[in-house]
Amino acid sequence: MDNSAKHLLQRLVRRIPASMLKSTLDKWERLTAEKRKSLDFTQSKWIITQELVALCEKSELTVKHITELEMIYITENPNQGMWHTFQLVEPEDDAHSVELMQFKEQFKSHLRELQRNVSVKIKKHTDQAVWIRVAWGDGLSSPNHLKATYVVLYLQTPYVFVNALSSKHKPLLLQALTLSTRHQQIKAANLSGQKLTALRDLLMRQYQQVFPTKYPSPLAESDQSISKLRVEKVQAEASANRHRMAGETFGDGMLPALQSAVFKLETKFKDPTNEAMTQRDEPFICSVKFSSSNLLESLRHCASSGIASTPVTPMLSSIPLKGRNYFVITDNVLTA
Amino acid sequence: MEGASTRGVLSHLSLLEVQARSRGSQVPQQPSRVKELKAKVEALTSQRDQLKAELQIHKKLQKLRAPVDGEDEEMDVDSESSELFHLMARHSELTDLLHAHNLIGGYDAITTNRGKSMCFSLATQYEGVYLDTYNLELNLKPNVRISRHNIPPFIPLNSLAEQSDLQTDVRAFLATVSQHLNAFAGRRQQLKLVKEQHKSVEVMESNLLCSILVLMFTVPKKKTPLLCMLEYTDHTRCLPTQVHLNCEDELLPDSPKWKKNCSLLMEVPVHRALTAIKKASDIV
Amino acid sequence: PHSGVVKRRSKSQSYRRSIRTCFGVASGLGLTPALTARRMNTSRKAPRSQNITEKVKPEHLELLVKTEWQLSYVTPLYQFRHTQLKSYSRQLSAFIAAEKQEGLAVEVGGLQNTFKVSFSVLQGLAETSDDPETVLIQVQSKPMFARQEDPPKTVWCGWLSCINGNPEYLQSLPKDFTCLPLFCSKGAEDLSSLVKSWLQRTFDCCFGPLDINQTTLQWLAALWTNCHMETNIQNLKMIWTLPVLPPLQVTYTVDSDDVLDLWRSTRESSAEKSREAEDEVCIDFSEVTRFMQGLMSHFYRHFRVDLSAGELNQVSSALGSAKVNGKIKISSSRYLISIFSLLTECALLKMPI
Repeated sequence: MDNSAKHLLQRLVRRIPASMLKSTLDKWERLTAEKRKSLDFTQSKWIITQELVALCEKSELTVKHITELEMIYITENPNQGMWHTFQLVEPEDDAHSVELMQFKEQFKSHLRELQRNVSVKIKKHTDQAVWIRVAWGDGLSSPNHLKATYVVLYLQTPYVFVNALSSKHKPLLLQALTLSTRHQQIKAANLSGQKLTALRDLLMRQYQQVFPTKYPSPLAESDQSISKLRVEKVQAEASANRHRMAGETFGDGMLPALQSAVFKLETKFKDPTNEAMTQRDEPFICSVKFSSSNLLESLRHCASSGIASTPVTPMLSSIPLKGRNYFVITDNVLTA
Repeated sequence: MEGASTRGVLSHLSLLEVQARSRGSQVPQQPSRVKELKAKVEALTSQRDQLKAELQIHKKLQKLRAPVDGEDEEMDVDSESSELFHLMARHSELTDLLHAHNLIGGYDAITTNRGKSMCFSLATQYEGVYLDTYNLELNLKPNVRISRHNIPPFIPLNSLAEQSDLQTDVRAFLATVSQHLNAFAGRRQQLKLVKEQHKSVEVMESNLLCSILVLMFTVPKKKTPLLCMLEYTDHTRCLPTQVHLNCEDELLPDSPKWKKNCSLLMEVPVHRALTAIKKASDIV
Repeated sequence: PHSGVVKRRSKSQSYRRSIRTCFGVASGLGLTPALTARRMNTSRKAPRSQNITEKVKPEHLELLVKTEWQLSYVTPLYQFRHTQLKSYSRQLSAFIAAEKQEGLAVEVGGLQNTFKVSFSVLQGLAETSDDPETVLIQVQSKPMFARQEDPPKTVWCGWLSCINGNPEYLQSLPKDFTCLPLFCSKGAEDLSSLVKSWLQRTFDCCFGPLDINQTTLQWLAALWTNCHMETNIQNLKMIWTLPVLPPLQVTYTVDSDDVLDLWRSTRESSAEKSREAEDEVCIDFSEVTRFMQGLMSHFYRHFRVDLSAGELNQVSSALGSAKVNGKIKISSSRYLISIFSLLTECALLKMPI
């Protein structure tokens, strides 16, 4: 094992929490069960790292194997770093028939055509997600495995999630993705966040959305009768109405844990009580960032409690509706 | 319509029985697995009983509604509490209505937002089994526009809206969307059934849209692995548009037997085609 | 190691004593001039850019600016002498050494060197003749394994000040009391509490946390915006927290030119009036309220979310930042005096009577 492999392993072990180290190594399968058993996980991480390096050296493992371990860890713990979303558009006629083997081959060859010295690893996860790890090398230098880019996509689905991509490599990666999935273009989808699972669930519509229906569910029926008995007031009705609208806008139950949304506003300042500002020609430039441990749940509570008026403004409902969390607002236009 | 819904329940029932049986025959097993399976059998049995009871009530209702063509059949509903009976009767009545409604091309539609928008719910079904229901809300004014929905992104809703004239013919648009959704649900259900019913067949590759399916068969005698790729290019259908075989034994895919199997796979849903191919002992 | 000067009194005793000496002699009605003055000013002068580099030593200025200070209030100090600072330095050094080594039987001589305290006067901050000079306290220490020639590092720093303190209140204090109500500190929490407890025992005073409340944050937002007429503040950033589950944070950042236009528009009529009346521009709190309402209404027009249902937690600009939990950072020396005058006022208000 050379120094770069050692360094990579040490850095990786430092990242993996002690409680997860054993299970991650078990899934790796590069060390025999016997060798894994010889590791004492109750020791300090520093000592475990030393022993692990020695074991890997004995097993003659290389950088390639260490990157496998990294991929296992990242795949199982994707909610770190910043994930940016892109959207593939204008599919070619044969886009629907791209299957994994073909994609793998195409992606690797396209990327290598654009950039020499890249190391690419592609693996399919159990939930149909295709995980790509790219380590970039520049010109003559060998790939830098310490700063690998991760890409997650679902074949035949327009969204692509990217982590740790430098602006220098961005056009290369996007071009390789566009070509190998047989699309004509790719564009930023204006959705980003730390939690990959939240971004994915939001775009894949994998959360409970509420739609009005003719047949009220039995639960709703009983709810109604109880609230009628409890308070026969207009207020209660208004509150029920707010709850319903909040649910219809943001969804029901647990919602994808999106953590922030940013609006850049360049709109006119209008206030009937402030003539000077209303008459001003220039837009009032400001930016608003909403942040929470679960933004959609917070906004739903805002609407149901009355802090936000209902029906919820299109500005806020656009977050779940369009699956975006970055907006630039100018007067009468809602654009990227 | 009754026929359709009865067949649905019956086929579901027989499926459950098949599952229960196939699981029961997998001996020998580890004790914990046996325990687990026993519990599952129990759960399935009770589910079957429940369905049977439902079916009986359903038949009885049929008889009540049409007393003329009276078919004599003894009902044993004594064990059921009257409340449960009432609920089940109402449930099957509603299911009937809903089914009839959908069969005649209607959608569960409701006007929302003070008449400014409409919300449609599109139910999917495959072989009489109800699967996921999707929803679509359309803004009607100033022009018809999709306002929100819970349809997964691999169904190209926007291009479907462009293709059909959304402004004048919402019904045609809904029909196309429904076709796509039903086909997708059907393919996904087939894949699920393949995994459940054909343990000897390995699913090598599939995608979220269930439009590509790569299966690995084992041809008996020499235990030759055979790779079979099914491509569903027409996303409005549950049947593949192309079947491709790949084998070390290059002659095998071109053999008359496998040519026949390929056309079978093109014409019959994959899980049922596999049952037939297995019966003919062409695969393990 | 304790010198005799460190007085040991129980807290309750000292409390009583302070109150007695301070107000016990006042009329039975309890309406001393000091008390009536203890309301937040509803009007204040607009901050003017001040070049204080001539008044304050550059090393002091460097310390004051660009550090985030934790604020506390302090009740008036009993028998504090600006002339005794050297002696206080020795006493506090000894006190810290003793407390730090409590329970450890180690030779005392060497220990005092680990923490070296220095009290000094920070000249140039006092604005009026009633304001006592600011007192700077620094604790220096040598790292455990430092070499002999390494300079000691400042591990804790704090200062007591009174800038533009209410003259009525200051003049009403009995002779033996020095009022330095604003205490700013940075450094390890344990050193903060040691310094506080020594000051408490020695000068019979008491400390309390000084949070920067909604009103003060609003004042700061308006004052900083007003500064944009002379100095670029880049933008005005305000952070609100809305009481929903999970809590929602709203960061509202406004371009400096636009926010100044809004500020001017809310002041238009009154500003003209006061310009006629006197040279110095006065700002009324009603203007601050109108300004904040303007900002909130622009927000509401877009998001239909009522910010007033939440709490303003933080205000910042290129000139500094202030947080509701009593942390303040001043990034430009030019408006230092105005900001600390406001905070002195808050500290005086916060003091228990």
